[in-house]
Amino acid sequence: MPSATIRNAGTVLAVVGVLGVLILHWLVFFWVPTEASQGVIQRIFYIHVPSAWVAFLAFGIVALCSAVYLWLGDERVDQAAAAAAEGGMVFTTIVLLTGPLWGRIAWGTFWTWEPRLTLTLLLWFIYLGYFMVRSSTQDPQRGKRFAAVVGIVGAIDIPLIHISVLWFRSLHPQPVVMNVEGPALPAEMLTVMFVGAGSFLLLFGGIFLLRYSLGLAEQAIAVRARAAQI
Amino acid sequence: MTYLGQVYAIIWKDLLIEVRTRERVASMGAFAVLSGVLFNFAMDWTAVRPQDVGAGLIWMTIVFGGMLGLGRTFMLEASDSAFVGVLMSPAPKDAIFLGKAIANFIFLMLIAVFIVVVFSAFFGLDLGPNPGLVFVVLALGALGFVALGTLFSALASGTGMGETLLPILVFPLLVPMIVFGVSATSRLLAGRPVSEVAGNVRLLGAFAVGAVAAGAALFRFVVEE
Repeated sequence: MPSATIRNAGTVLAVVGVLGVLILHWLVFFWVPTEASQGVIQRIFYIHVPSAWVAFLAFGIVALCSAVYLWLGDERVDQAAAAAAEGGMVFTTIVLLTGPLWGRIAWGTFWTWEPRLTLTLLLWFIYLGYFMVRSSTQDPQRGKRFAAVVGIVGAIDIPLIHISVLWFRSLHPQPVVMNVEGPALPAEMLTVMFVGAGSFLLLFGGIFLLRYSLGLAEQAIAVRARAAQI
Repeated sequence: MTYLGQVYAIIWKDLLIEVRTRERVASMGAFAVLSGVLFNFAMDWTAVRPQDVGAGLIWMTIVFGGMLGLGRTFMLEASDSAFVGVLMSPAPKDAIFLGKAIANFIFLMLIAVFIVVVFSAFFGLDLGPNPGLVFVVLALGALGFVALGTLFSALASGTGMGETLLPILVFPLLVPMIVFGVSATSRLLAGRPVSEVAGNVRLLGAFAVGAVAAGAALFRFVVEE
């Protein structure tokens, strides 16, 4: 696919995603009923939970693309991994900012060493390591390979980190949408939650494609510059 | 040369270098003793019992002291480009990794035993009814730690940032080791029955096996030119 097509698709997705996020905020502030036990603070969930979904999805893409990159050595897969990591870092940051705001009111503390909080914080640092490694080598090929190794080892370790932090007692609200008995939310709240998930997914897809096409363009310029030198 | 022979050759080379220079073990050992001295002044020992914080102090000293030694795994060889020679040898990359990791494991276990002995003396720690099991727990944790440390040390020495990058990459991944290791060790130090630590020890073992396997599989992507 030519990079212009990817870029246009990315722009469309990003614009629709931003519109979705605006609608989401309107729904959150004016439409959805206030939750009975937690009150108004619960509304932050419609931002927090879908961001967390997208953040973990992005990390899955990073791990998968990293493995494929080491296996096949295709530059495009590496660009996809890097694009997903950038988007993932944005959404992980949103999760880490909105969570404490809610926790301050609901738990009375900004931070607690609860499994999912700890896991998200560590995920953020694994992303950080991914970018630091990527940019710290003179040879870009080597940086890409190193970053892929960081992504894969992170993905292997994440389940064990999760088990280990579960060792401490959990404070975090249990899943109410993705549980085995089906969603346990009133219809309106569920609607807003899915509007949130949909808009964040579109926004992430848009950012991902824009970053990906930018990466391809950068690569094409690098190739051309090298050819001109010769 | 058989695969094990190749692994053994790497281990032997690293041990020989260490015996002749005494660089890494000496610096890690001095680090351990001096950390103990600082811990002594950092805590109010009339308020906390050594049995309660001993496991945490031992593990954190192993991690921080270990980072000193692990960070230098490839330093000596990198400075003279000697590592290129190791890579050009017919030994497969995972044999080189295993050799390096096992040599690091030997150094780290020496230090871990030393730390336990010194801290017992400094803080009056009692190893409980199963001192042998304490060392098994330390060994499993150390194995996972050196596997990740060796892999990322090779990676960090290939970047412009060198050793400063190592903690950022390794620390987030060490959470399982610290959780399972510290909780098992502190229970053993408190004289709890062995059945209480069985789950921790198994998960610590899973961490070690996973780390060694991941390191052996991914090492070639780190050292490849």
